[in-house]
Amino acid sequence: MLEHFKYLCKDKKLILWMYLLIFIGLLLLFTASKGVFAREGLFLKQCLWLVFGMIIARFVRRLDYRDFQKFSPFLYIGLLFSLFATLLFGRGSGASRWIKLGWFNFQPSEFAKIIILITLSAYFANKDVRKLPVLLVGLIITGVPFFFVLKQPDLGTAFIFIVIFLAIFYQAGGSKKQIVALLSIGVLSSPVLWFAMKPYQQERILTFINPMRDPLGKGYNLIQSIITIGSGGFWGKGFLRGTQTKLAFLPEYHTDFIFCVLAEEMGFFGVILILLVYFVFFKLIAEIISYTADRFAILMGTGILSVFVAQTIINISMTMGLFPVVGIPLPFISYGGSSLIVSLISVVLLVNIKENSLMF
Amino acid sequence: MEREKTILINLTKFAFAIIILRCFYLQVVRYTYYRELSNRNCIRTVETGTPRGNIYDRNKRLLVKDSPSLDLVFVPYDIKYPEEEAGILAEIISMDRSAILRKFKNRYGNPFDKVYLKRKVTKEEASLIEERAMKLPGVFLQEGLFRENLFGDKDCHIIGYIGEITKQQLSSYKEKGYKSGDLVGQDGVEKMYDEYLKGVSGGLQIEVDALGHQRKVLGRRLSLPGNDFILTIDQVIQEIAYEELGSRMGCVVAMDPRNGQILALVSKPGFDPENPRAYFKKGGHPFVNRAIKGTYSPGSVFKIITELAALETGTIEEHDRIECKGHIEVADRVFHCWKEEGHGWVDINLALPYSCNVFFGTAGLKVGVSKMLEFASLFDLGKPTGIDLPGEKSGYLPSRYEIDPLNLSIGQGPILTTPIQLLSMISTVANGGNIWKPYIVKEIVSPDGKIVKEFTPSIRKTVYISSESIDILKRGLKNVVLFGTGRQARVPDLEVAGKTGTVQRAQSEMELGTHGFFVCYAPADNPQISLVVFLDNGSSSEAAFIAGRILQKVFVPEKKAQEFQEGDSLSFPPSTGGQDLDVEEGSIGETENAGTF
Repeated sequence: MLEHFKYLCKDKKLILWMYLLIFIGLLLLFTASKGVFAREGLFLKQCLWLVFGMIIARFVRRLDYRDFQKFSPFLYIGLLFSLFATLLFGRGSGASRWIKLGWFNFQPSEFAKIIILITLSAYFANKDVRKLPVLLVGLIITGVPFFFVLKQPDLGTAFIFIVIFLAIFYQAGGSKKQIVALLSIGVLSSPVLWFAMKPYQQERILTFINPMRDPLGKGYNLIQSIITIGSGGFWGKGFLRGTQTKLAFLPEYHTDFIFCVLAEEMGFFGVILILLVYFVFFKLIAEIISYTADRFAILMGTGILSVFVAQTIINISMTMGLFPVVGIPLPFISYGGSSLIVSLISVVLLVNIKENSLMF
Repeated sequence: MEREKTILINLTKFAFAIIILRCFYLQVVRYTYYRELSNRNCIRTVETGTPRGNIYDRNKRLLVKDSPSLDLVFVPYDIKYPEEEAGILAEIISMDRSAILRKFKNRYGNPFDKVYLKRKVTKEEASLIEERAMKLPGVFLQEGLFRENLFGDKDCHIIGYIGEITKQQLSSYKEKGYKSGDLVGQDGVEKMYDEYLKGVSGGLQIEVDALGHQRKVLGRRLSLPGNDFILTIDQVIQEIAYEELGSRMGCVVAMDPRNGQILALVSKPGFDPENPRAYFKKGGHPFVNRAIKGTYSPGSVFKIITELAALETGTIEEHDRIECKGHIEVADRVFHCWKEEGHGWVDINLALPYSCNVFFGTAGLKVGVSKMLEFASLFDLGKPTGIDLPGEKSGYLPSRYEIDPLNLSIGQGPILTTPIQLLSMISTVANGGNIWKPYIVKEIVSPDGKIVKEFTPSIRKTVYISSESIDILKRGLKNVVLFGTGRQARVPDLEVAGKTGTVQRAQSEMELGTHGFFVCYAPADNPQISLVVFLDNGSSSEAAFIAGRILQKVFVPEKKAQEFQEGDSLSFPPSTGGQDLDVEEGSIGETENAGTF
């Protein structure tokens, strides 16, 4: 175990900041699991996930990241299969996002993020993205899984896919004109989609944009979430001493609303600290990208950074009513095995990139 | 090459700045306000219910509606003295103290959500509760709605009943917006079409003060009543069927053979849809809709299939005769006819009305098991009919190795059908070959009068049988009622065509009675209604008698019917049972050995 840890620590900085985030996450999960409805199981489970994720990360660490460029078509096909399987046999509250494999609730849409960004980077790596056919193929690569997760329906993940595409496309040299054109096509076609939807689907979108349309469901959550954050004050109520989260006002305080636990118990001070940690973490990733000459690595690194940045911003914003409430986890902190494993793999890939770039 | 990277970092700076500003506003500027809200836990949600849709029969007669009621509810978090409060409540409402306590102590997803303790409390109970309100913190009365079934248990198996959502239902319905405590259909149309019936319930999110009084409305959701339903059921026929079946265990289903619309469906014993709980432990399986969930051997009703198979394959011509001596010997077994002294020389025109086992047994031997099974599956026996009620059983059509031709030819042995399948079969004969999908809901109408969904008749399958064979069969069915085993179904001025069937009840039941079937359609030359009567523990002639009475009331004006009854010796008192007709068909040899030929 220790050896394994050392092995992972070759790029100390990035890895250490990642572990800091994971540690904070476990602390929050620990306090969140001490509520009226005790859920100690969650904390232990997340620890198990961490160990499991580290084993997988060690395996990925041994691979050359360039292998992923070669294998990306297979990964992509595997992804489509598992997304299709989710639609057929999926489970989960309200939406079919998970596939149950024994005791393991596998959530393909988490893995989708990294597989799409690898495939997209591999495809764009040696092509001129200003050419229309290249752009179209790129759109199809993102579009097919996009519609699968939209159907689940997992609006948050679908939105992340758009971010991934735009980030990598722009980094690969896509012109601003093209991006403006793409966005306007998206905006113009949305009314068509809107009228093709059934009333209950429209209702879901409207509640998504304005949670207060559903004051007993999502609106209730949002109000409780804001109260929780506000009641934390400057210094917070103290570790393990939160009252809102303990009373289970928020049904998903251990996953999507875990930020509230932090804001309640550690206050404004804690919020600033965690944002700082995230910021340093992002800066380190950006550094790795800028030291790399390999185009595939740059694109992949940008994709990974965009996922982390987008998820962090969206997750935190939604808890305070700055963004619609969607099912997007806070990287390294929210409860969830699939998300943690994917984040670990992403960081290992970045470490691989860094090592290889130093050899040149 | 660093363009995107810097954009992402700048984006982070920008977004984090906004988040910090927002947190500063919430956690520093507005701290006291939120702190107070959090300390008093004073956000509550109040659900304002919405009426479920009304249900009407085909002539727009109201069958089911929602009426206002008073419900007893509690907020788990506010229950301060569970033991004492349970004790007080147990005295007032008819509920066990331990049961109330269990409800109090249950774990709920949100301890501030109201939980129903008892719906529809009486005025007396309500005033007693009001009197002791001070001793019952967290418990209160709330205006609500309850489902009123205007015809009581008469339509129970069609309408079904509603009940609090079960855990299983919750996990599979969640996506559609259901939540715990919701009332959902648990059977019948209420279950099948719950999504359309339930509407959207409204609600408020309110801020309350320390005493629990409303201070401010934070959010509001408007309610939308459920859709109204128009059924294919004719409540007049439904009530006739209900009365004629009386206290017998069994079922009656009436259908329009021209389009598959179900006109009446009664299964007994039934239950009170407003208080189904009282019937959960009652004997006789009151919740089993025998018409679609009961599977029975068809008995001699199956001779319709045997006859068609024999005629269509040319194995037997119309005037081929066989001598019935009361039994035939096959290998080392003796196969009995129900009439011990035998029917003498009979051809197919006499064999069907007399329901002669020897004739059909011999025919079955010649036709063979596979051919008979082929015809049975042509008529979709052993397959669900697709009626729009939940829980339809498929029955069972055996493979050729599981049943012998003699047993199969008279519908005995491991062949199982539901009454509605037999109804579908006789309707198909009546209309000359179309298998209509039976259905119960005709129209779904929105509260503002727009048609949400309209159900039109649909043919599932067409059976091609030569018109000669159909004619012979139809003549035979008419004769069954004119002078054969179905004489009890005779109605003045109305030609009825039908077939009887009697089956030994399952061996496991102590009482070795019989099941009685009668399937028929009328008027014979222009079928407008087809009918199946099934009696659990009864004879086929009793079933025929009930069918006759129903058809008479539906078709013949009251006065004429009376004249007929007075002057006719055939009128049949169900209590005594007809001596000569009762034991219409015996089984093959001894029943326990059936199937070993």
